[in-house]
Parts: sequence; C-alpha cells; structure tokens
Amino acid sequence: MSRHHRANRKDLSLWAVFRLPVVLFVLSLAGLVGALLEDGVWDWIGSALLASTVVATVWALVRSRS
Amino acid sequence: MKTRTIRAWSWVHKWSSLVSTLFLLMLCLTGLPLVFTHELDELLLGDQAATGDMAAPRLSLDRVLAIALERKPGEIPAFMSFDEDRPVVNVTSVDPAGPAGRYSFQPIDQTTGAAAPPVAGHPVMEFLLQLHTDMFLGLPGMLFLGAMGLLLVVAVVSGVVLYAPFMRRLPFGTVRVKKAARTRWLDYHNLLGVVTVGWVLVVGVTGVVNTLATPILAYWKETALKELTAAYDHPAPVGERSSLDAAVAWARQALPGMQLQFVAFPGTDYSTDHHYAVFFHGDTPLTTHLTTPALIDARTGELAAVAETPWYVKTLSLSQPLHFGDYGGMALKILWALLDLATIVILGSGLYLWLGKHRKPG
Repeated sequence: MSRHHRANRKDLSLWAVFRLPVVLFVLSLAGLVGALLEDGVWDWIGSALLASTVVATVWALVRSRS
Repeated sequence: MKTRTIRAWSWVHKWSSLVSTLFLLMLCLTGLPLVFTHELDELLLGDQAATGDMAAPRLSLDRVLAIALERKPGEIPAFMSFDEDRPVVNVTSVDPAGPAGRYSFQPIDQTTGAAAPPVAGHPVMEFLLQLHTDMFLGLPGMLFLGAMGLLLVVAVVSGVVLYAPFMRRLPFGTVRVKKAARTRWLDYHNLLGVVTVGWVLVVGVTGVVNTLATPILAYWKETALKELTAAYDHPAPVGERSSLDAAVAWARQALPGMQLQFVAFPGTDYSTDHHYAVFFHGDTPLTTHLTTPALIDARTGELAAVAETPWYVKTLSLSQPLHFGDYGGMALKILWALLDLATIVILGSGLYLWLGKHRKPG
C-alpha cells in the first residue's frame, strides 16, 4: 500500500462506489417504515422495497458466476 | 483516504466486531426462529385461543377481579389485560410480602368466571426468547446485549467507511469467484454488508432501544407520571379503591374510539401509587403500537388526566415492531429471516477474514 491513496484515473468516484448502496438503503428504510404506517397493500409495497436488498445480492452473485 | 485514516477505521471495525461477534451470532441464531414465533407456537401447540363465545354476556371487571383475588388470598392486583380473540381477562397479582417481581397470572373466562387455559408459548420458544433478551441474567444481561448492539452500530458505520477504499477499483456487486478464498470471502462480506446496512441499522438500533425498556419506563414513572400524582402521602389501599368498571368507563369516555389494552393498578410499574392507569391503543398499524393511558383516581374513581406518553416511551413502543418484524405479514417475516441469514454470513466471514489474517506470519 502506498503512503497516500491519491485519486487515480482508474479509481471510481465516491459517488460511483456508494450510488447503489445509497439507493438500497433508501428503499429499505422506505419499506420498513411504509409497512409500519399503513396496512393492506402497504405491507406488500414495504416488503417489495425491502426485497430490493435480496434482489441486488442475487443479481450480483449470478453475474459473478456467469 | 490516507493509509493512516484507513488503519484507524480498520482498528475500530476490527475491535467493535471482535468484541461483539459471538453475542451477535447468538442473537442472529436465536432471532431466526423467533421471527416465526407465532407460526411455530401454533404448529407446536395447536390453536389455543379458540375457546369461549365472544358474544356471550360478560361478568363485570370488578367481579372478575374479586374471583381472581379469592383464588390468590393475600395478593393484591397488579395488572389486568384483555385477550383479543377470546372473552378472557388476564389478572396479574402479586404478594406484597413476597419476593419482588414474582407475579401470579390468571386467565379468567369473563363469561363464566372459570379459569381459562393460559396461552403460553412453547417452552423452546420461551427459552430462545429469554436467551435473546437477557441471556437469563435479567436487567444486567439486557443492558449488556444493548452495549453489544451499540458495538454493532459502530461496526456497521466503520464498515461503510472502509467499503470505499476496498471498492474503489471494483464495480458494485463484484465477487471475484476465481480468486483465492480470502478474496472471495472479502467480496461476499462487502457485498452482503453494504446491501443490508439499512435493515441491520434499524434492527440493531431498535434492539438497543428495547434493552433500555426497564430504565425508560422507570424514568417515565419517576418524571411525567409523578407530576400527575395528587398529594397523597400513601398508596391507595385495596379496600379504599373505587370500582374498576367505573374507572374503565370514565377512561373510555376520555379516549373515545380507542381499544382497551390493559389496566395497571396503583403502585405498579405502569401507574402511580394513586391511580388506575387504563391503557388504550389505536387500530391503525402505527397506533396499535402507541398506547395512551387515562389515569383514574383510585380513591374517587374520577378522571385525573389523559397522560399522552412522552417521545421516549413512543420510541420504545415503535422499536418493538421494527425489531421483531411482525408488522407486515408473512412476506416481511421471510425477508427478516433472509436478512438475518445474510447477517450470520457477514459475521462468519468477518471472523474468517480476521482469523486468516493472523495465520499468516507478518
């Protein structure tokens, strides 16, 4: 490891690194709170939003193996 | 990020994780079946609640209380709660001369006055719940697990910080499956860690709040509830108390349209020494978890105050569903289980990565 990790042309920007994690974070929280605030269809919407985390994981695992 | 900064965050991540990992693994392993407590209890014990006729005429609450106390001579009433799917009133009483915290619990059929079968969880589920809550160590155990929860939050935050330098050359979701096991598991650890941040933080923080239930309720009683206490110098004795039915009727009038949840008798943790605290909850998913007590003067039977719960009690109330994941149907429970499994993999791979680092010399 060099003494300083200077931004290098090959390095991704902080935004590029955290873009998808931030999206998943927001979707998860929206799902967790949405299902708590309302019943019925919101239980499904909330679960679907939280399921984005599982979908992203499965997508990453499948893509890595192909 | 400077190497020194990365080192510092690595140190924080390593130690916050190492200290808490074994306990967090225990919490994840016991939490997994606990997500399905309701289903497992029904499967293991059958449907216990299906007794009694909800439409049959009911005995008065005063009568039910008298019956309960006849069966436990010398005890004083502590709580009364109401089953939602059977006409059963649960009376909790306590021997004032006995050891603290030893309560008698009697479910009583409100249509006949007969003892109703208790609806208890399966002993295995009760064991897992106790282990998960306080490791059979009472309040110190709960607070200790709360501290482990705080370390989990520190580990998640430091993990997110470290994610940046690790992933600066790798697109999101990369798993280098053809590389050495260590690299592959680092990628699994990073991927699962970063996608579960939201859920883990919510379950972790609400878990920590739940471990503070005892001090939160004690503080509420000592401050907000105490302000409502009239200047009586001794608790309202059992013999001098007004009718419970009248108290509940007063409370219903004060909080129309809400559901009766339970009554706390004078001198208990949920009331003052001088009031019946009659607790109601709403019927939307959010307000079901938020209770409001009406305080009824136990001597005069008159409404003393509607004590809207303060923010910290509301926070505690909402932390329960957000921790248990039991508020959004089966789909949400399955997601809770999957994310719990993901957390087990994160903890296991973290431990593996740390062990691997130490096996290599230098």
